[in-house]
Amino acid sequence: MAGTIQVERISKYYNRNRPDEVRALSEVDLTIAAGEALAVNGASGCGKTTLLGLVGCMSRPTSGSVLLDGRDVSRLPERFLGDIRRRTFGFIFQQLNLIKSISVLENTLLPLYPGKLSMKEMKIRAERILARFDLTARAGVKVSRLSGGEQQRVAIARALIHQPQVIIADEPTAHLDSVLAAELLDILEELNREGKTVLIATHDPFVSNHPLINRVIRMRDGRIVD
Amino acid sequence: MIRLLKILEFALSSLARRKFKNFSIIVVYSFTIAVLASVLLLTHSLKKMAMDVLVDGPDIVVQRLLGGRHELIPTDYSGIIEKIPGVGRVQPRVWGYYYDSLNHTNYTMLGIGEERQRFVMVDGKAPADDDQCMIGQGVAGAQHAETGMDLLLIDGKGIGYSCEISGVFKAASDLWTNDLVLFTSDALRRFFAMPDGLATDITVEVFNAREVPQVAQKIKRLLPDTRPITIDEILHTYESIFNWRSGLMLTIFTSSLIAFSILAWDKATGISGEEKQEIGILKAIGWDTGDVLTLKLCEGMVISVTAFLVGVSMAYVHVFLLDAPLFVPVLKGWSVLFPRFHLVPYIDAYQIIVLGFLTILPYMASTVLPSWKAAITDPENAMRGV
Repeated sequence: MAGTIQVERISKYYNRNRPDEVRALSEVDLTIAAGEALAVNGASGCGKTTLLGLVGCMSRPTSGSVLLDGRDVSRLPERFLGDIRRRTFGFIFQQLNLIKSISVLENTLLPLYPGKLSMKEMKIRAERILARFDLTARAGVKVSRLSGGEQQRVAIARALIHQPQVIIADEPTAHLDSVLAAELLDILEELNREGKTVLIATHDPFVSNHPLINRVIRMRDGRIVD
Repeated sequence: MIRLLKILEFALSSLARRKFKNFSIIVVYSFTIAVLASVLLLTHSLKKMAMDVLVDGPDIVVQRLLGGRHELIPTDYSGIIEKIPGVGRVQPRVWGYYYDSLNHTNYTMLGIGEERQRFVMVDGKAPADDDQCMIGQGVAGAQHAETGMDLLLIDGKGIGYSCEISGVFKAASDLWTNDLVLFTSDALRRFFAMPDGLATDITVEVFNAREVPQVAQKIKRLLPDTRPITIDEILHTYESIFNWRSGLMLTIFTSSLIAFSILAWDKATGISGEEKQEIGILKAIGWDTGDVLTLKLCEGMVISVTAFLVGVSMAYVHVFLLDAPLFVPVLKGWSVLFPRFHLVPYIDAYQIIVLGFLTILPYMASTVLPSWKAAITDPENAMRGV
């Protein structure tokens, strides 16, 4: 099954060899099986977001390797990574990273622009996913005019519209009330049952204890401690 | 192809999002192109029209020089020139200038001989008798005169001179007839009090155009006090004058070029944090570097091509429909009676293409390069605006 991720002794330094150097990750080893749902716990600044970024090919490790289905993607030139990100990963960012000056529909469609679907097919798919997140009525509204919870749902819709094999979510329930958080986790559970790999960084016990999660790892100071 | 069309659609919506900024860029960009294109269109059209007139002119004009200055030439020189093999018609010409002190303008006075039947763009007819004259539109306007009226001038002896206006040149020929007064050669010689046996210059036709330089050399050898000016030299002089003037115009409007360069430089030296973040987001959700560059190329292309087309259209309207009111005093001539003619829209496609390259490509580069820098950055850094 596609979606197996192996992290081998990766370290990540920011501002390397400068007075303000930060070691975000230190020689981390981790294997995530295809179809697994893994929660990464830990306090703020422990390296959860950095780990997710490296796994999702959003940045490169200072040392070590990230293998996706056995292929080392950490050394690939940037021009190959866009395709890998599009085909493999769906990101739900902690900061949401929506383009606030465009509409809900346009934000949701963004991952599909480089793909092969026609605009008509893209819109059909967007209508379906917006309906799933109760955003149909807000489709034409600019994201900047939405509440925090609505924006979060747009970010989730955007992460799922291209049907990725691996879903990476960084504090996905941070802006949601308990009902919507439960709904989101139910959706992720459903996707996980379909065979998608789910990787969630969270310090919310509600997420860690949800039946979706197969395994929880704990991080501290850039290392996996548990 | 579908991918490109989709990205183009996104580029258009992206441009629409920043409509005020992009509209401002298009306005400044179009104005700059309009100025440059106006100078090029006007210069080329004037040159072409002038050349069209000159190529029908004499192959050689022979002037007499005295102390390096133009002097009246003996008409019997034409007999010597006629004997040179290959020479056709040789015609002494009488012409000069007349200062109209009431209107503070100069008229060009020209005497005509046998060629009087060749004028076609005339309301009326060419002067048939010595007491008739034909005038250009500028002279008619300055004198409030028309066909059938009398034109009153002061002759070379300071005595009032009256001639009947037998015809007025049509406005279409204004470029070369606007300030013109035509007499018969005899009448003009009398008007200028020019001694018999002398003319202003002599025109020479040569049967074989390739022999013009050799004939000119022979004239110079036979008549050392003359200066034969070939048609190529005249064409070259005209071209130089127009090029010099258009160069002057371009220099004057360098300020608009500089303003545009500053704008382009501002874009080239960096994109805003918001734009960087957008590029980071697009990359993070699966756009590759090529997609981002395609997007930015589409945006830059839409702006620059729109501005180019608007600018060139504005220039066309300015030059060919409005008669270039901004530049005409510099480019048309030094006479006080500026010709009020409609320029014929001769367009040099090569010049327009070069203008396109010189304006579209730098803008495209200034749009794409900083985006490329952001696009090759890790999405994580780009999203943070690093």
